[in-house]
Amino acid sequence: LSKLPETVDPMIRAHILSLCSALGGTSTVEDGGYSLGDDALACLKDLKKWLKLYDQKMNRFDVARCMAEANLVKGDLLEILSGWEADEIEDRIKQRLALGCVELLVPLTWPFERYSEQSTVNHHRHIPVLQFAQAGYKKAILQHPSKRILSNILRVALPSIAVPQNERTERDEGIIKLVLYFFRNLVTIEHPMITETDTGEEISRSVTIEALEEQNVLQFLLVVSSEMGNEFNTQDVVAMEVIYHLVKSVDIEKIFLTDEQESRKQGQDLTALLKLEDEMKRASIRGASTRHNRFGTTVWIERDDKTRSFVSGQGALLGKSTALDKMDASKKWRKPGGADKKGISRKTEHDMSLTLERRAKAKFRSFVEDFLDAGFNPLFSHLRRAIDRDAQRLIEANQQQYFYLIAWFLKAERIRRKTLAAAADPKDTATPDSESFGLVASVLNQESLITLNRRMTDWLDTKQWTPLQSAMRCFTQILLTVQDMAVSPLEDDREIAENIQNRLFYEEVTLDLVVMILRAYTRQPFGWLDDCTEMVHVHLKMLERFSKQHEHLFIRSRKRARAQRRKSTAGGDGAEGVPEEEDEEDEDEEIAKLSKVTMKERAFDYSRFERKFLTQGCVNTFLAFIGNYKELNYGQMKRAIIFFHRVFVKREQEVLLFRIDVIELFNRILQGPDGLPNSHPARKEMDRFFKHYMRKLVKMLEKRPELYVELLFTKVNSTMHYLQFGYDKQIKVSK
Amino acid sequence: KDGTKDNLGLDEEVKIKRKRINAKLDEARLLREDIGIPKLRREAPKRLRFKGKGHEYRDAAKLLSYYQLWADDLYKKAKFRDTLQIIEKLGHSRRMKMEREGWIMDDNKKTSGDTQKEA
Repeated sequence: LSKLPETVDPMIRAHILSLCSALGGTSTVEDGGYSLGDDALACLKDLKKWLKLYDQKMNRFDVARCMAEANLVKGDLLEILSGWEADEIEDRIKQRLALGCVELLVPLTWPFERYSEQSTVNHHRHIPVLQFAQAGYKKAILQHPSKRILSNILRVALPSIAVPQNERTERDEGIIKLVLYFFRNLVTIEHPMITETDTGEEISRSVTIEALEEQNVLQFLLVVSSEMGNEFNTQDVVAMEVIYHLVKSVDIEKIFLTDEQESRKQGQDLTALLKLEDEMKRASIRGASTRHNRFGTTVWIERDDKTRSFVSGQGALLGKSTALDKMDASKKWRKPGGADKKGISRKTEHDMSLTLERRAKAKFRSFVEDFLDAGFNPLFSHLRRAIDRDAQRLIEANQQQYFYLIAWFLKAERIRRKTLAAAADPKDTATPDSESFGLVASVLNQESLITLNRRMTDWLDTKQWTPLQSAMRCFTQILLTVQDMAVSPLEDDREIAENIQNRLFYEEVTLDLVVMILRAYTRQPFGWLDDCTEMVHVHLKMLERFSKQHEHLFIRSRKRARAQRRKSTAGGDGAEGVPEEEDEEDEDEEIAKLSKVTMKERAFDYSRFERKFLTQGCVNTFLAFIGNYKELNYGQMKRAIIFFHRVFVKREQEVLLFRIDVIELFNRILQGPDGLPNSHPARKEMDRFFKHYMRKLVKMLEKRPELYVELLFTKVNSTMHYLQFGYDKQIKVSK
Repeated sequence: KDGTKDNLGLDEEVKIKRKRINAKLDEARLLREDIGIPKLRREAPKRLRFKGKGHEYRDAAKLLSYYQLWADDLYKKAKFRDTLQIIEKLGHSRRMKMEREGWIMDDNKKTSGDTQKEA
């Protein structure tokens, strides 16, 4: 054993161990309770210094590892913390001790950044061990028999919170933040590797939520977020992070189901799944051999030029297409896909889904509702200002979390309304009206929309797909909320919705952004594709409806990209912009001559905008989406079909979809051995679309045989018009 | 043959083993008269007869199987979907675009010539 290289310098280990044992230990006198060492407070301070001056300064994890070995957290810190009885709030010494413990716990539970520029060999040596240690800490904290570790930690911060905000010292602010950071760390910790014997159940989200609720931490979070901007100021980011890690990937719809509904739904889901499986089994039996596997059948497929391809196995006898499928399946070669160096296709946090257990669910639901009622507006408007200011306390990931949370809570609010409306007595119309959308108003104002827009543009430009995904979700949810507002029984809500839509659809740049994002799809994970197509779908639908309701809709578009001085000096915020633009309409010609106008208001033409979606890039994104048909539910399938319908039927850009791989895909979805099962709700619509598609295609092929070649390719712009209409565009113009 | 003379193998002719050339699906192959697109242009309109309304699935299967066999002849080793992807990509090159325009122009002339004759 001595030959093994030491992971940690033995001297350091000795130091840490001696400090830990000097801290205190199990008493032999008082029924085996914990008794503090004489210099416990000094020991805590020393340990803290070790962590700070050795680990942090030299960028190592040696001390943290020694502490994990010494069982410091469970053996000492938690004992000290739990020893602080409820009637000893005023006890200064105990409070100091508790603070010392928290000061150690925070760095010990700090999340690891696995692949940063600063990581060294040492990190890779220690992190795997420390991750397990952290999971152990979390388990010990949540399961501690005293059941007051969390509330005692909370109590550490209470004296500082009691001081009015303007009288707080830096130390007070620091303590509040420290406690919040501890909770952030606690909810962030996940089990590093789940095995059969260690399922990580003890530290799952449900258990965490239950413990946090029982020990009043959730209430504390509500207080912090609802008093944001008043009693609290710089703690906004940390508070948001705690909430983010609590909320992320939780399935919202399930939270708002009652137990009865949920069990019924589970039953239905199970039935549906079993039925699907049954169909799958039958489909696979259909293609299977009816004889034993050495029966030996060989079939050849003869072509017109008398060449033959051979296929073996009985299945080949079934029909030409199965034989061809078999022929294809026997080919070993695969097209090299190219390495995904940037990791674009890697799944992210956004692609997960999580269901809470029954008891935690109820607690979580009431937290979510309380947060929406009290904390949503103050916290998010405060954060939005911080983001706009580029405040120092924000890191890159925070903005992503911000948009993710907005999307999540907006959706939660919408679902809450829906469940309330469903539960309310239909005859009694007076009560449900009382709630207005004011609860989520802070993210629907102009400033927030601008922030969102700017971030989306940034992230698209820099190809940061994961943050972009959260922003897209946020945008979709804002649109959906506005849509709900527009049909609200309250007059005010309807008016505001009208206003917001006006603003949303006023800038052409915003509209174009949606198209550009859709076109930017390359190989992002499925979740991204889902969010992207949903955003496009909702956006197009709302814009269409809105432009139908308003005959004279104006938008602001960029005319020339050249810088224009005169206008910028004339200035004008968004509010004043409208009358100004009108004045300029008169001078329009003159200005156009000078080509100085950068922005111009013009009548909005929906069909012109829709035409931007009629490009191969956009169609390809939706094709990639529907390529995942096995995982799509009815709504998602429908979304894709509606888009294709838009392209193919409404706008008659059939050529865009006339491609052999598209035919192959549609055919596979409907006819293939692993296509949509018969019971799939979207099958009927898909079937109808495909039949229409094939009829058009056959007619077109008979009319223009050159399409046989063009079926192989993405169409070239110069010939697309000819293919579609049978004559060249130019000829028509010259006539 | 003479063991004493040639025990070092110096006089034996050195055979240079050539690495096997992998068939590649490129423009040249795609444009080959006998298996490439020219064949498709020649044959497809004649060979494929569709039934139209009411027989959509059969038509689709017919079309797909024709293309699949054509793709199989063109490039044996790849699966149908992969072949289609490769061909699609090749279609972006300048040369292919010119060829494609040429084909369309040809057919355009042919059909417009026909209509003129008819008129």
